[in-house]
Amino acid sequence: MPDEITFTIDGVQVKAKPGQTILQAAIDAGVYIPYLCYFPGMKPYGACRACLVEVEGGRGAPASCTTPVAPNMVVKSDTPLVKALRKGVLELLMSEHPHGCLSCHRIELCGPQDICLRHVRVTDRCVVCPKNERCELKDTVRLVGISMELPTSYNYRNLPIHTQDPFYDRDYNLCIVCARCVRACDELRGDDAICMVERSGKALVGTSRGTSLLESGCEFCGACIDVCPVGALVERDYKWEKAAHSVYTTCPNCAVGCQMKLEVDRWQRVIRAVGDWNGEANHGQLCYRGKFGLDFANKAEQLHYPLVRRDGRLVEATWEEALDVIAQGLAPHKGEAYALLASPRSTNEDAYVAQKFARTVMGSNSVDTSTDSRPELVLGLADMLGVHAATGSTWQLLGARCTLVVNSNTTEDHNVMAVPIKQAHRKNGQKVIVVDPREVELTRYADLWLRPRPGTEVALIGGILRALLDESLEDKDFVYKSCEGIEELTRSLAHLDLVRVEGVTGVPQASIRQAARLFAKERPGAILYALDNVASEDRLALVHALVDLALLTGNVGKPSSGLFPLRSGTNEQGAWDVGCAPSFLPGYRPVADAAARDEVGKAWGASLPSAPGLGVRSVLAGLREGRVKAVQVIGDSPTFDAEALDALSQAQFLVVHEHFLSDLAKRANVVLPLSTFAQAQGSYTSLERRVQLVRRARSARAEEQPAWRALAQLAQRMGVKGFEYQDPGQVFGELAALMPAYRGLSHERLSKGGVQWPCPEEGHSGTPVLLAEGLGAGKAKLTPVESPKAPRESPAEYPLLLAPGRVLAQTQREMQVVSVEGLNRVQRDEVVELHPSDAAALGVAAGDMLEVAATSGARIRAVASLTGQLPGVVSITTLFGQLASQLQASSAPDRMLRVPGLEVVPVRLEKVAAS
Amino acid sequence: MANTYDALASEARKRWEGLEKGPQPWIRVGTAICGKAAGALETLEALKAELGRRDINAVISQVGCLGLCFAEPLVDITKPGHPRVFLKNVTPEVVPALVESYLAGDRPDPGLALGTLGGNIPGVPSLEDLPQWKRQVRVATRNCGTIDPGDIHHYIAHGGFAGLARALTEMQPPQVLQEVTQSGLRGRGGAAFPTGTKWSFLARSNVSPKYILVNCEEGDPGAFNDKGILESDPFTLIEGCIIAGYATGASHGYVFIRHGHEGPIHLTRQAIAQARSLGLVGQNILGSKFSFEMDVVLTGESYVSGEETALMEAMEGKRAMPRSRPPFPAAVGLWGKPSNINNVKTISYVPEIIARGAKWFAGIGTEKSKGTAIICFSGAIKYPGMYEVPFGLTIRQVVEEIGGGVPGGKQLKLLQTGGPLGGVLGAAKLDTVLDFDAMASAGAILGSGGIIVGDETVCAVDLTRNLVAFCQFESCGKCFPCRLGMTHLLEVLERIIAGEGRPADLELMKAIGQTMAVGSLCGHGQLGFNPVQSGLQAFAEDYKMHLEQKRCPTGACNRLFHKPTRTRPVASGGWYARRDYVHH
Repeated sequence: MPDEITFTIDGVQVKAKPGQTILQAAIDAGVYIPYLCYFPGMKPYGACRACLVEVEGGRGAPASCTTPVAPNMVVKSDTPLVKALRKGVLELLMSEHPHGCLSCHRIELCGPQDICLRHVRVTDRCVVCPKNERCELKDTVRLVGISMELPTSYNYRNLPIHTQDPFYDRDYNLCIVCARCVRACDELRGDDAICMVERSGKALVGTSRGTSLLESGCEFCGACIDVCPVGALVERDYKWEKAAHSVYTTCPNCAVGCQMKLEVDRWQRVIRAVGDWNGEANHGQLCYRGKFGLDFANKAEQLHYPLVRRDGRLVEATWEEALDVIAQGLAPHKGEAYALLASPRSTNEDAYVAQKFARTVMGSNSVDTSTDSRPELVLGLADMLGVHAATGSTWQLLGARCTLVVNSNTTEDHNVMAVPIKQAHRKNGQKVIVVDPREVELTRYADLWLRPRPGTEVALIGGILRALLDESLEDKDFVYKSCEGIEELTRSLAHLDLVRVEGVTGVPQASIRQAARLFAKERPGAILYALDNVASEDRLALVHALVDLALLTGNVGKPSSGLFPLRSGTNEQGAWDVGCAPSFLPGYRPVADAAARDEVGKAWGASLPSAPGLGVRSVLAGLREGRVKAVQVIGDSPTFDAEALDALSQAQFLVVHEHFLSDLAKRANVVLPLSTFAQAQGSYTSLERRVQLVRRARSARAEEQPAWRALAQLAQRMGVKGFEYQDPGQVFGELAALMPAYRGLSHERLSKGGVQWPCPEEGHSGTPVLLAEGLGAGKAKLTPVESPKAPRESPAEYPLLLAPGRVLAQTQREMQVVSVEGLNRVQRDEVVELHPSDAAALGVAAGDMLEVAATSGARIRAVASLTGQLPGVVSITTLFGQLASQLQASSAPDRMLRVPGLEVVPVRLEKVAAS
Repeated sequence: MANTYDALASEARKRWEGLEKGPQPWIRVGTAICGKAAGALETLEALKAELGRRDINAVISQVGCLGLCFAEPLVDITKPGHPRVFLKNVTPEVVPALVESYLAGDRPDPGLALGTLGGNIPGVPSLEDLPQWKRQVRVATRNCGTIDPGDIHHYIAHGGFAGLARALTEMQPPQVLQEVTQSGLRGRGGAAFPTGTKWSFLARSNVSPKYILVNCEEGDPGAFNDKGILESDPFTLIEGCIIAGYATGASHGYVFIRHGHEGPIHLTRQAIAQARSLGLVGQNILGSKFSFEMDVVLTGESYVSGEETALMEAMEGKRAMPRSRPPFPAAVGLWGKPSNINNVKTISYVPEIIARGAKWFAGIGTEKSKGTAIICFSGAIKYPGMYEVPFGLTIRQVVEEIGGGVPGGKQLKLLQTGGPLGGVLGAAKLDTVLDFDAMASAGAILGSGGIIVGDETVCAVDLTRNLVAFCQFESCGKCFPCRLGMTHLLEVLERIIAGEGRPADLELMKAIGQTMAVGSLCGHGQLGFNPVQSGLQAFAEDYKMHLEQKRCPTGACNRLFHKPTRTRPVASGGWYARRDYVHH
């Protein structure tokens, strides 16, 4: 097949790639053909017929969006026939879309914000549409340049507007039924929360049974809004605002690294986030956190001045005063008594300066990211493979024939990571295996859902390894070439016969075997793991077992394969890369290695502390024990629960860099105003190792400072050299010079797009797959699997474990949606699933009303259903819609910061008398 | 152990002779949907009761539809030593008299007797002499009304599966393909595309699996020949489908039937099961290396799901909306695999073509339209029914000789042919030859074969409104020209009928029509203007009178009789009245 097809559009010679349609080739070549239903990135649909063209030698007028290009084709898009058809189609369309302004004779004279008094009815004006000035329909009609005579009768639909669902409004009076939203929901997101309803002139978009989005399975990702060409779908916040300018940046709300366009209005408010279709980490997709969770950047509560505690009260102070107080306060605590916790949203520059500050100014290695409570995610990987990050790339998951997801609520915590998995599963039937005691969204797509007793995940993966070796399904060539220790592994698995594994985990042997066969045979395969609800003492063993599984199946170092540790903090990956970790200097040089310390110390002109640092978990413990006395915390963190706050308030000196006066800031000795991501300039490194720029969208007051600048000033005030940075690019230059994996990167390079490290030199295009050239000099050492430990005892008063679940839709469940203060809420009795033996012990029958009481004091009312699979484990599955309503109603300044997770907790069941 | 065809055939013939030449009278009652509607089941019960009361031994079979709708309920009786006698309009009331006269006695009541086949009975005409019968050349419907659609042996006894046996044993797939191509068979679904050519597209693909799809959506009002064939002789379709699979290398056949066509669904499923039990469907058919699976798939009620790509969408469980072409189904069809889709009628010709040869089939009909047309008559016609006639007759011959003309001494005003998307022919076009191309140039299409006759009391505008209302209601709502164009056409016609037409309305309809005809995604929109266009051509006077004098020539368009159709989304009523659409 030729690489290029040459053809002609309106006399212009155009080159196209094979398989492209006329419209795609025309768009690439910059030739304008109007279109409404086509959207780049989705399959051609052929409904709007605005893109009709004539092809020489062909019949009629084919739609250019569905007609593939053929060599030497002669396409004409401006013949009288095409023009007449285009006008006919648009006139028909206008008969059901408010178009007063479009057909007004004064349109050329009218300014964009004018309110006219006489020419057009109020309800038909474009200026009363939330999409005014960014409406594709209007642009199309104007570009086509037809005069609107409109012989057809105009009919306003007069439908009520849906404003009761969370986050976005739906006004189907403006809908042109192009079905872009329906297709985005189906093709791109795999949700099918919205669909076409009715047919003929009555056809419209809606939900399948006319239900609220809360019930229909909407994940509130906003993909439909981004593709809507008219004002039918719009975000509710800042609905009517117009953008003054826009900026491409990286989403600060999770580690996936989605690229998006931030629209900013003339009052410097971030009004809208639109997924960037060129973003390699997200392919245009965002999620509820990125789309509807960035308003914190605009909040009036933002701190504008430093606060210093005087006489027990925090009072405003100048930077100079605040820095003096900090310098004095920190001086007695140099060394191991000092710890610094970076924010999950700290940029690489922030994190780099933070660790440099802690090490050179304060002489302490206790520097970490505040969300980094599961370092085992990566440490386990580093032990066996020597890498400290995901070995593959997110969108290569589209090509993975099997994906194993272990204890991760991917759809909620790393939403866009789940998109390629769902797409691949729905398009090509690629296999999904989920290991999780909880019912999460991906379990609905899973070909196999293994639901082990909580705490027995290691034994389960061990069982899969055993089944795999028993049936001799391993990739023998790969194991022979690249692994050692197969004998030890096999020997360790001798304890794990499947009968025993079934006894321990509660997962049937047949399912374990099936999982082993599936994962071994469907290659390439990828493993995603977040270690949710895995006890800290089991985490390393579980990661080792998963790496064993990847190695035995040869799924390391190949495209579409690999291991993906799903870290929770947005820039945890980058923070570790640049040395913001207790045991690593920049570039993963071990702190314990004297040569490494010397090397880095030389570059910094300082001598580095050798005492091992504390990670975030140990810092909190150290605070409680009094070993840690001064703590500096950057930003709020989802992991700051009451217990953590309690520990942090025991510090003798606490410095907090914050956007808002958070619970933590209220406990501080000094609070420094921190600029938000929208005011920052820097870079994030996503969990697939992609280094991407964070660009400034709105200006900051002089007092609102990024952490790197605040720390640099503090260092200078404390008389330490080496912190004379002018801008973040300079910081990045310094860290890149120090780190081989970042050496080829600079802010200038990143301004052209993200790059996956390692990128050792300037011309290097980045590395999508780690270990592609083999496992280095040595072989990977397979780690034996420990024999299963006795499961943790639950407290006697709370004998059962609750595995909470959350899914997008539960069509089988009756529910009611009620309107509370103008917003839809799901109202229903939850169902608690329990094992018949537990039910018998408690004297509970199906249908009884129970109260589920947790140690925390939380109580949930639920109807008993005796469908539980495991004795001792109960589960309640709620709807994502319920969570969305909660988030919509939240009054927290940063509503997506603390999205309630799904934690397995000990509970007890109590019967409630029927009311 | 596979049955050889000869063994099957001799077994079947033995069974058939046991019935036809047996010692007892054999009574066949037509209980297809047309018979049932006329009360055939009550007749059947009455017959059984009467025979029981009189203690007469007889074999009673339920057969399909002979095509003579005007004669339903139709009973035919074969007595030992007598020819087969057809008795018309046998309602339960006349059953005792019938039994008395012909089963107890020997003289069929001349008032009931329609005709005989295979011999004479004094006082009863021969069926062959009836114009409704003698003009017919029954190929696809050859067994209809004769065999029991629930017994595969009846079909085999009539030469069934001989074509398949010939194809499998004597011919290679390319030869079968060539035979079909040479026969000149064209698709009976409406587009009249040459079947052999269509099959060759599929045969050329080397992707596997390939599918043969059979379309029995049959949503055209006034068309009932697909259902008629499936309810009377589903085996001929099955045989044709297997031959098509053999010729094209397909491995699966799916018969797609509209939900609610209960008779065809049940009988086709049963027929497939019977064929499978005899080794005629499944692995290694008739001991050959060829394997072919078949199944029945149901669709929701939507006219557009009869469009080939919409049908595939529906089969995949999606909303029945047409796909855009290219890619064509022969490359990317059902589940993304190469597929061929034919109408029931088209496939039903294939067994006879293979069994009797392309030459024989090509000898019937006109130069470009080979074979026969299966016409469904309804409306203002004396003898409504399903008649298989050779191409080349004029429409006048068909209407007047077979259909018996317009009853009640009224004048024929128009013919509505080929379903609602077909068109309206005025009486002036009666001498058009029955031929795909001649019909098209006359401004209508033969389409699925339905012909609805309108007499002088029919208002052309009202009829057009009726057709457009159907097309509008059935538009799937995908492409803009059809979704909106149909809606506007209907709204304009409704206002013309209500006496509120505007002078520019005809021009407006033409403009919309052009956008639809060229701009629409599928045939529904492309042909959607046909009823208006052909009506405007033939009955411009009617429109003029409605527009200028604000009155209807026939009085049919009285605004009191018309409630405007709901064509747009509204906030109350229907789907939109769900609780989510609450005004606030």
